Amino acid sequence: MTTTQLTRAEAAPPRTVARAGRTVRHRQDHPAWFLVPALAVLLVFFFVPTIYNFVYAFTNWSSFHAAISFVGIDNFTDLFTNGSLLKDLRITLVYAVLVAIFQNLFGLVLALVLERDTMINRFARVAFFVPVVMSALAVGYIFQALLKPQGGLNEILGFFLRHDVEVAWLGSTTWTIVVVALIHAWKWMGLSMLIYLAGLKTISEDVLEASRLDGAGWWTTFREIRFPLLAPAITFNVATALLGSMNGFDIVQATTGGGPGGTTELLNIFIFRTFGQGLFAQATTMSLALFAMVAILAFPVIRILRKREAVL
Amino acid sequence: MKITRSAVAAVAVVGALALAGCSDPGASDAGNGQSTSDWPAQDTKLDGTTLTIWAAQNSNKTADSVIQGFEKLTGATVKVVTIPDPYEQGVQTKVATGDKPDLAFWQPTASELTALNATTNLQTLDGAPWLDNYTGNLKDITGLLDGKRYAALVTTPAVIGVYYNKEVFAKNGITSTPKSWDDLIALAKQLKTKGVTPFYEMGADKWATQWWVQAQLADAAKDGLWDKVNKNEEKFTDPTIQGAITTYKDLIDDGLFNTDIKTATFADQGDALLGGKAAMAMQVNSFFNELQASASTAELDKKIGFFPISPSGNVGTFIPDQSNALVAFKTGDSKREAAARQFLSYWLGDGYQDFVTAQSTVSLLKGVDTPSSVPQALKDVAASIGTSVGSMQALAVANPDLYLNLADMIQGTKTPVQVAKTTQDQFAQLAKAQGVAGF
Repeated sequence: MTTTQLTRAEAAPPRTVARAGRTVRHRQDHPAWFLVPALAVLLVFFFVPTIYNFVYAFTNWSSFHAAISFVGIDNFTDLFTNGSLLKDLRITLVYAVLVAIFQNLFGLVLALVLERDTMINRFARVAFFVPVVMSALAVGYIFQALLKPQGGLNEILGFFLRHDVEVAWLGSTTWTIVVVALIHAWKWMGLSMLIYLAGLKTISEDVLEASRLDGAGWWTTFREIRFPLLAPAITFNVATALLGSMNGFDIVQATTGGGPGGTTELLNIFIFRTFGQGLFAQATTMSLALFAMVAILAFPVIRILRKREAVL
Repeated sequence: MKITRSAVAAVAVVGALALAGCSDPGASDAGNGQSTSDWPAQDTKLDGTTLTIWAAQNSNKTADSVIQGFEKLTGATVKVVTIPDPYEQGVQTKVATGDKPDLAFWQPTASELTALNATTNLQTLDGAPWLDNYTGNLKDITGLLDGKRYAALVTTPAVIGVYYNKEVFAKNGITSTPKSWDDLIALAKQLKTKGVTPFYEMGADKWATQWWVQAQLADAAKDGLWDKVNKNEEKFTDPTIQGAITTYKDLIDDGLFNTDIKTATFADQGDALLGGKAAMAMQVNSFFNELQASASTAELDKKIGFFPISPSGNVGTFIPDQSNALVAFKTGDSKREAAARQFLSYWLGDGYQDFVTAQSTVSLLKGVDTPSSVPQALKDVAASIGTSVGSMQALAVANPDLYLNLADMIQGTKTPVQVAKTTQDQFAQLAKAQGVAGF
């Protein structure tokens, strides 16, 4: 093995040198049609559905008749004159921001607590990562059962307080959105933790040692050195949490189904409901609106976060 | 450059192929050759034929005895596939993408048959051998769309009415059931002063909220309310329907309902009525089936009664649901289509007596007796069908999420006016999508 590696290492440099002059043209020594299988998959499973998402939004596709014809911007005018879409877009945005905050806060705290490679910490990391691989619907149903007025949480509280507790944790029209955002954050915090852990590991020991020598305590080191150096991890975590939860559906559908009183009705739940009514074109139009909102939000958010990295 | 050009060409070719392959998959008009008069004998041999039935969680055991008998008689194999709730949405989505069973439980109303695009997707059941055996007016009240029959009714359609606890009534000296809406409300107020919760509603599970509005509309429905709504001549926001919604809200505000109305569930409602925690619940048959799961026929006969109600009297509102009927799909395989029709004729033929006995349900056919194990309340429900009128689901061209908006009203996020407006908007949207004139 060592021999082969050596031979390659010796052989490589002259080759590179010899070819340096015409690399641009001749590095592509595969025929272009090799691309076709990959392109076909990408096209069929990504581009075509996306294009159809645009096309169907301008049609009257429904379960009521077999023919599909174009209706112009009818669906759009209907949707924007009807308050439900804007209301649900607002709820979705609030939910996404809450999830982004909670998930990153929990993930970062966990990463800091479990940073050292001890036996217990390794075990704890695995434990906190378990919810990430769990089915989102299962998580939703479990929490729904726990948070019912006669559910597990109230029983535990009742045991300690020594009287019956019957709080409807998912019953408030104001706070339930926060509760479901917390559940979403709980499920995904293990992933954020993992990425923050990786980020913390990449910080050079030299820098940390220098700060120690300068007399910086834990908090100062964290605030002045480690947190700024985590910027790439934060970019990834905030962007994925924010944009990912804009597409949230499963957890909320399982815990509240959009209730109480429609206060946790994410746009995807509304889309699901509309699709279920047989109004396929209208549902497509809504998902286009969601797509537009995610896109509009994604560019500035990622830009701002990347700017923070630039100072490094 | 050459490479780029051929890559572009490759993309274009693949793209064109993909686009060509992506027309509406639900649109294929399969099996048009079916002759409606072709009803195979019930015992025609069907060895090697497999039929698939889609059912919901609450109807996936309904057909068990029929399937057993049919398999033994014909040698066919019949599989029941449970489609998770919400059942109707699941089925519609599958059918829209081209996935069809041979048979499915389905609400036999015009609005829900339209939602399945019956004319394209379903076999017509005109001329079925069992039709003339139906008792009373069952043949004519449901299963039809534009004069064609697409659904086979197998159990009594549900009726909206009041289930009450006989013991609570007796304890408070009430000897007769209310004769009109005003009677009902007066009775409720009387019970409230005695410290009894008059009505129990399941705000958290939402779907029963609409019964309160629909019961109030029974008289108007008789006078053609839904015809006018279907032509856009009357709206949910006009005084008739708006008034019913507002009355419902007022009754809640007057404290005639359980205090935990916002969080109470379907199961809670059953427990409350059976346990005497509340006197009455406005419900449909599936509520009583829930009670049957936890109490014997003798206990139910002793404790639970039923009466239909409308503003002017005791007119019930019928609302056939998914567990009451089946539809047969055009699958394009004429052998299986015929087998599906044969299965239905067996169900509503030689297999019917076993079926009503196994299910303890009221018989719909002449010459087949209702088993003695059927509780009195269910017999009363079945008896009220003859005089009842159609519900929104039965008579309106579309079925908007009225229940959801009413549940929002209970939670306090919508006013009665907003409930009517949201429902009307959605109704108009659905009617327009169907191409109904006037929208």
